[in-house]
Amino acid sequence: MSTPARKRLMRDFKRLQQDPPAGISGAPHDNNIMLWNAVIFGPDDTPWDGGEATVVVLGTAVAEGGELPPKASPLLEVVRLMPASRLGGTFKLTLQFTEDYPNKPPTVRFVSRMFHPNIYADGSICLDILQNQWSPIYDVAAILTSIQSLLCDPNPNSPANSEAARMFSENKREYNRKVREIVEQSWTAD
Amino acid sequence: MDSEDDMHDANDLESVDDDFYSGDTAMGSDDGDDFDFVDNESDDSEDITYHRQQQNYTILSEADIRLRQEEDISRVSTVLSISRSAACILLRHYQWSVSRVNDEWFADEEHVRKVVGLLEKLVEVQNSRELTCGICFENYPQDRMTSAICGHPFCGTCWRGYVGTSISDGPGCLMLRCPDPSCGAAVGQDMIDLLASHEDKEKYSRYLLRSYIEDNRKTKWCPAPGCEFAVEYVIGSGIYDICCNCSYGFCWNCTEEAHRPVDCDTVAKWILKNSAESENMNWILANSKPCPKCKRPIEKNQGCMHITCTPPCKFEFCWLCLGPWSEHGERTGGFYACNRYEAAKQEGAYDESERRREMAKNSLERYTHYYERWATNQSSRQKALSDLHSMQNEKLEKLSDRQSQPESQLKFIIEAWLQIVECRRVLKWTYAYGYYLPEHEHAKRQFFEYLQGEAESGLERLHQCAEKELQVYLDAETPMKDFNDFRTKLAGLTSVTRNYFENLVRALETGLKDVGSSNSEATCSKTSSSKSLGTKGKGGKSKATGNNSRLAGGPSHSLDESNLWSCDHCTYANPKSAKACQMCEHRR
Repeated sequence: MSTPARKRLMRDFKRLQQDPPAGISGAPHDNNIMLWNAVIFGPDDTPWDGGEATVVVLGTAVAEGGELPPKASPLLEVVRLMPASRLGGTFKLTLQFTEDYPNKPPTVRFVSRMFHPNIYADGSICLDILQNQWSPIYDVAAILTSIQSLLCDPNPNSPANSEAARMFSENKREYNRKVREIVEQSWTAD
Repeated sequence: MDSEDDMHDANDLESVDDDFYSGDTAMGSDDGDDFDFVDNESDDSEDITYHRQQQNYTILSEADIRLRQEEDISRVSTVLSISRSAACILLRHYQWSVSRVNDEWFADEEHVRKVVGLLEKLVEVQNSRELTCGICFENYPQDRMTSAICGHPFCGTCWRGYVGTSISDGPGCLMLRCPDPSCGAAVGQDMIDLLASHEDKEKYSRYLLRSYIEDNRKTKWCPAPGCEFAVEYVIGSGIYDICCNCSYGFCWNCTEEAHRPVDCDTVAKWILKNSAESENMNWILANSKPCPKCKRPIEKNQGCMHITCTPPCKFEFCWLCLGPWSEHGERTGGFYACNRYEAAKQEGAYDESERRREMAKNSLERYTHYYERWATNQSSRQKALSDLHSMQNEKLEKLSDRQSQPESQLKFIIEAWLQIVECRRVLKWTYAYGYYLPEHEHAKRQFFEYLQGEAESGLERLHQCAEKELQVYLDAETPMKDFNDFRTKLAGLTSVTRNYFENLVRALETGLKDVGSSNSEATCSKTSSSKSLGTKGKGGKSKATGNNSRLAGGPSHSLDESNLWSCDHCTYANPKSAKACQMCEHRR
């Protein structure tokens, strides 16, 4: 029942829980370890980071570590776990693994709507370590960390979203504005 | 004469296309040099295998390839004092060129080591009894872990998975590196042999063999389907015709079927044209008209001129003038009539799109003319090839029985068929040449079509004789007396056709430069020069013979001056005993 791929995925999950990198969280589905949900927070001090208005937008002020109101959205659960008081963009992704893992990379896709030069409209990501530069040494934490750093460090030479790529090169202000827009959207999306 | 024929023909049967028009030196490039670099003796007296190796290419079987590969690896391994596996990696990186490896290595060894992944210094191995595998994060005792020269440890299972995946992914496995992304240590065949499964090792070995041919600029696989041979070619010798041991002839430059005298560009364009969508477009342009409203192409399939376009357009118009149907009245000559030419022309109705239609139609017809002939010659050649094979395998014996002639006396039939096969090939490609000949070059076109016509009619006569007339002798119950006459006739036709084709090939290779004058003294009947100027005639004769023996290996061997002489008038090869030409009665 336990194949090398599954064993390795269990290890990845344990590692993620014991030693989570900043701004990243992920867990497999209850009934299917080959399919994971993950959340990436926008890196601090970047347009991907929400800004001071965030807490007010949520409408419910929650003290750090305090009691959550009933019927809280999963998002608030995440907020409570985070040490920082600011809430940046929270972008949801799915990771689909195969039995070839870790010799083959998972298929990673953004669920939240994104505006980024290297992210396609359907959420697929154009990232080298997910394709030809993959190594069996990378684990889930490494993948998510790379994606997080891609957010504020795009590569306009391989544009998946030509509009975003153009805007990033030519009109930074407009680009940042759009980024803030999707950051706000990411809180309300389900 | 017969015994010499035997010796050559035994080898000739394997190489169908080999010796016609492809000498071992650059042929037909400058006619002025004909006389100079022909070495009659070396051509005629050598036997074919030596002849082939003297040429600018060699055929390699799988065993040959393995041998060469092993030798190269050994050489590099000895000179550079490195392991065979490392030598193999190095060679592969530098396209299997031993000289390049040596140059690069001795120029900057460290740089080469880094680029290729052959690290020298062993990374410090931890002394702990247990190590953690970098892929599955399990702990294992040290002796169960393997690592490349870099020292990164991984367990056997993980290695097997890693190597197996890489090999399944294709020839990229030859450049395998350590799984650690920060490390570039190469993983060579020695590690593969340790770590991979049996099947994967076989696959790896296969990829390595293929790499020796594919990554090396001097070698290529024979493109014939099912052929396992490779060809090594000496670059810079100019002639691209290769004839493989499997009897497939191809061009080195473009790996298409052998296509002399036409150049590779023309061939590529022609093949593309035959297969391209562009022909469909041309057909559509020529045979359909666009709806005046929605512009979709419409093909008329009924008699009436009143056309209604399909929904959603539903526009009604006249097929002839493309005008709206509602306006078809007085203007166009009455209802249901559309015959007023002057008016229409004045109105400029025959406009741009109409002109394009006309041009497309013409272009399509022109293309069809050439394509049909190209394809017909192609299928004719295939048939001739199969006839040749059946002749070699069964019919020769049968004929020998029926006509009570020893098989050695029947070689002329095989030669005739070989000639037919080769001439069909040349003729086929001359049609592609003709299609691309610029329309405005009238003189060249006329000259080309004249030469082509002569060659074609010669070939048809030869093909007819070999096919139909031979059948009579095959079916005969008893030996027939006129078989010897038939032999003379067929041999004569073979030789005449060969001359016509040589002229054609030579003319095309020089780009039809000498338009107006035929620079071949063989076909042109210059009665004055051959009769009056004895020396010039002799010079011409030996020049023609020189050409023949240089151009065609086996059969032309018989046109050696001592055995036969070539008639100045019609170029028929007469036996020495004849005082006058047996074909045209012209005095020697």
